[in-house]
Amino acid sequence: MKNIDEIEAIRPLARVEPGGLGGDPSGPAARALLAEVTAHESASGSGPVTMRARRRFRPAWLAAAVALAAGIVAVPIVLRDGAPSSYAVNLDDGMVTIQIRDFDDAPALQRRLRELGVPALVDHVPTGMMCREPRGEHVQTIPRGLYSVPENIPGEPGRGWQMRINTKLFNPGETFVWTISGQYGGTTTYLMRGPVAPCEPVPAPTPKVLVYHSATGKNGSLAGFPVDGKTVGEVMSEIRKRDLKAVLVVIELNPSGGFAEPSDQDIPVGDDWIVWDAEERSKGVIRLRVTEERLDRNPVTGE
Amino acid sequence: MDDERPARFEAAYHRAYGLITAYAARRCGEPQDAADVVAETFAVAWRRVEELPEGDEATLWLYGVARKVLANHFRGDNRRRSRTAELDAELADLYGHCPDTEVELDAIGRAFRSLPGDDRELLSLLAWEGLEREEIAKVLGLSRNAVRIRLHRARRRLSRALAEAGVHVSTRSGLVPSKRAL
Repeated sequence: MKNIDEIEAIRPLARVEPGGLGGDPSGPAARALLAEVTAHESASGSGPVTMRARRRFRPAWLAAAVALAAGIVAVPIVLRDGAPSSYAVNLDDGMVTIQIRDFDDAPALQRRLRELGVPALVDHVPTGMMCREPRGEHVQTIPRGLYSVPENIPGEPGRGWQMRINTKLFNPGETFVWTISGQYGGTTTYLMRGPVAPCEPVPAPTPKVLVYHSATGKNGSLAGFPVDGKTVGEVMSEIRKRDLKAVLVVIELNPSGGFAEPSDQDIPVGDDWIVWDAEERSKGVIRLRVTEERLDRNPVTGE
Repeated sequence: MDDERPARFEAAYHRAYGLITAYAARRCGEPQDAADVVAETFAVAWRRVEELPEGDEATLWLYGVARKVLANHFRGDNRRRSRTAELDAELADLYGHCPDTEVELDAIGRAFRSLPGDDRELLSLLAWEGLEREEIAKVLGLSRNAVRIRLHRARRRLSRALAEAGVHVSTRSGLVPSKRAL
């Protein structure tokens, strides 16, 4: 009986009541995350050439950082169904804060931004469409603090988002080019110099679906043969036995965690190197991630 | 490639989303950490969709993934983050009230936090997620017997820690913090 009490004692410590649910599986957060997560693996580009991007699971923040560097911010947006069209723009000492809860009214938003001194061009395209590129010259060096990455609207979790633009940092002739696609699409932000062509909606390229899967999974070619921690020699011998092909990828550990796949893969790999992961894209061709040293934990799975 | 996998993932995702967000929120001090854990858990799950079990087992499997992600997260391993603004906001909402501000809960909280991580996880899966022993065994990849033994020990240690913190538990009147008792 005493045991039951101890368990009872810690129940009230739970931030979310015991047995209760945290997030809403049909809410905007759940939908955005699902889109984000499932977009990543299948949209990994077109094979080895783009592997310069290194990891097929590129984190969102990295994507954002890369995009920022290139003058682009792309974020997934999810809006509440049926919400009235609304946005709010405030100006405070040259800093414009835009809160958007619905994106239907792009022309009005553009007008309002221009009134406030933001040289903005706002377009809305249907889901699956984009404006034909290139529309103009991209500014490569964006002044620090010109605009913020979209963030939550304070006090309104899950409803649209807000971003800040510092109107004082625009150079003459620059335009803030903002494209919003679909209700569940995303927004793309460019900074351009000089004339910008009107948006001509064209179908957005469908990301080539490259399905990677674990070669050691139930349906994998190496089913029943866990590879992590085995030597290259051991794994290659099994691969030959099963009449498969293998590609060896030497991975490098990032100091901050995670790993990278350097593009120069001409290092000779010894039989005593360690395999951490086996995946296959087409049946029978196994991609093995290896390191020279045996590590404390698997750098691919983090376990 | 088999096309049923995205659908299978989505079904498991919908079933588990509320539970995994709760799981993360109960274990992370900050909503941002919880959002990271949730995002990374589902990212790992999608990456390993091949291994995703059918039906309710999928939720237990996801708890197992979340547990590992959580451990890695607090080891400073924040890679592959797929957080979204919406997720941050939703989790921040769950942090609106602080559960252990009352004196009793504060003492219990301290006692609980003094336990080894493995003990806390076992006890939490039982007390917070409301899992059965057999389910806990699946989440932790242990045998039922191992769970039984570990749980027994964890409870003993919790009981001792509670006593040291001056909290006495009794069946009838709930919690009686000794500081306030008389």
